[in-house]
Amino acid sequence: MAPRADLLRLAAVADALLLLLATGLVVFYAPADAVQGVVQKIFYLHVPAAIAAYMAFAVVLVGGLVYLWNESPAADRLARAAAEVGLVLTTVTLVMGSIWAKPIWGTYWVPWDARLVSTLVLWLIYAGYLLMRRIATPGRQAARFGAVVGIVGFIDVPIVHFSVTWWRTIHPPIETAAPGALPPAMLLTFAISSLAVLLLAAVLIGYRYRLEALRERLAAALDR
Amino acid sequence: MRAYLRVAGAVARKDLRTELRSREMLPALGQFVVLALLIANFGFDVGTGGSRIAPGVLWLTITFAGLLAFGRTFAAERDQASLEALLLTPASRAAIFAGKALAAAAVLAACEVVLVPALGVFFGTPVLSLPLAAALVMVTIGMAGLGCLFAAIAAQTRARDLLLPVLSLPLWVPFVVVGGRAVQVALGGGGELNGALALLLDFDILFVVVASLAAKFVLDD
Repeated sequence: MAPRADLLRLAAVADALLLLLATGLVVFYAPADAVQGVVQKIFYLHVPAAIAAYMAFAVVLVGGLVYLWNESPAADRLARAAAEVGLVLTTVTLVMGSIWAKPIWGTYWVPWDARLVSTLVLWLIYAGYLLMRRIATPGRQAARFGAVVGIVGFIDVPIVHFSVTWWRTIHPPIETAAPGALPPAMLLTFAISSLAVLLLAAVLIGYRYRLEALRERLAAALDR
Repeated sequence: MRAYLRVAGAVARKDLRTELRSREMLPALGQFVVLALLIANFGFDVGTGGSRIAPGVLWLTITFAGLLAFGRTFAAERDQASLEALLLTPASRAAIFAGKALAAAAVLAACEVVLVPALGVFFGTPVLSLPLAAALVMVTIGMAGLGCLFAAIAAQTRARDLLLPVLSLPLWVPFVVVGGRAVQVALGGGGELNGALALLLDFDILFVVVASLAAKFVLDD
């Protein structure tokens, strides 16, 4: 069962409007940071992309668990779609973070920082996942291997983060964690842009899932 | 539990006996280790202090020797189609996996027995060091658990030599980070050793449990 095309299109149009609104807010409404200046505005794409990436990989995890439970092809299709979208979002996170780091830290990359290393390892794990999906024989075997790699990979990421933190970190703490740390204008902009990016991720996963479902239906029809 | 241990022990003994009779892996891994150190010796500027780069050389050699050792454990079974025979037995998949991982860990440990003295000769690091041995044993167990899980996956696909490093290396990062610290301390750097060893033990338990649970799905056909 694939998501209906007209519903997907509706969500895509709504998200395009939301992305426009978010861009407008980031450029014209949100104040520039007192210390970092205009560079800080990267935060409105960097952080939502990171959150959406983690949520996409959580979908890979859940899809994998469901697949191992009942071998439903839909769960595997969802996991694969989410892995692809998650990898793209992780790439956005890494690139945006590097662009921010150059003026603020004076370097594109800090090789021993916990958050940076764990994000890079996250990227490598799911790049490996997608390579494996390409190499393994499609069908039950690839789905089962995918579920295992998706689950073990997701467990590994917090541990990578923890082991490097135990080493040392310079990444700024999550600033929204303390209430009142962000002025309301920044918070609103952040909320809208997060919503826009999350919806974008959901729409992309939906389209990817639908494409896969249609392809499988076509293959089944050609077999008959 | 008794049956599990018996099967795991039997599979491990079988793999080690095959290795002792054919003598393929261990000589090759021993040569690989010495050659890796030789390359590092010329690649790095050893004149400025060999002991400073020794931990890094140790890690590069162990991770790549591990890929070779773990890749062989399932690839050999696959080539001889003996994996199917093994899986046709009523023994639990987790026990078969544990036995193979145990044998692979023993092979990598044997390789480290060559590596550590050779490192001492090339870079002047201590050879007989209890902290170093403890760190290496713990890292080897965890790496074998994860590495054999992915080796089992890779062996059942085409292009398996490509897949094993791509899957294993990112997931070994926790062992490289914490084990790296432990080895630096053991080889004369400053820092606390017990915390690192305790953390490695935690990782071992976690990943051995996860790999055994996952083995059932990877070896299922």
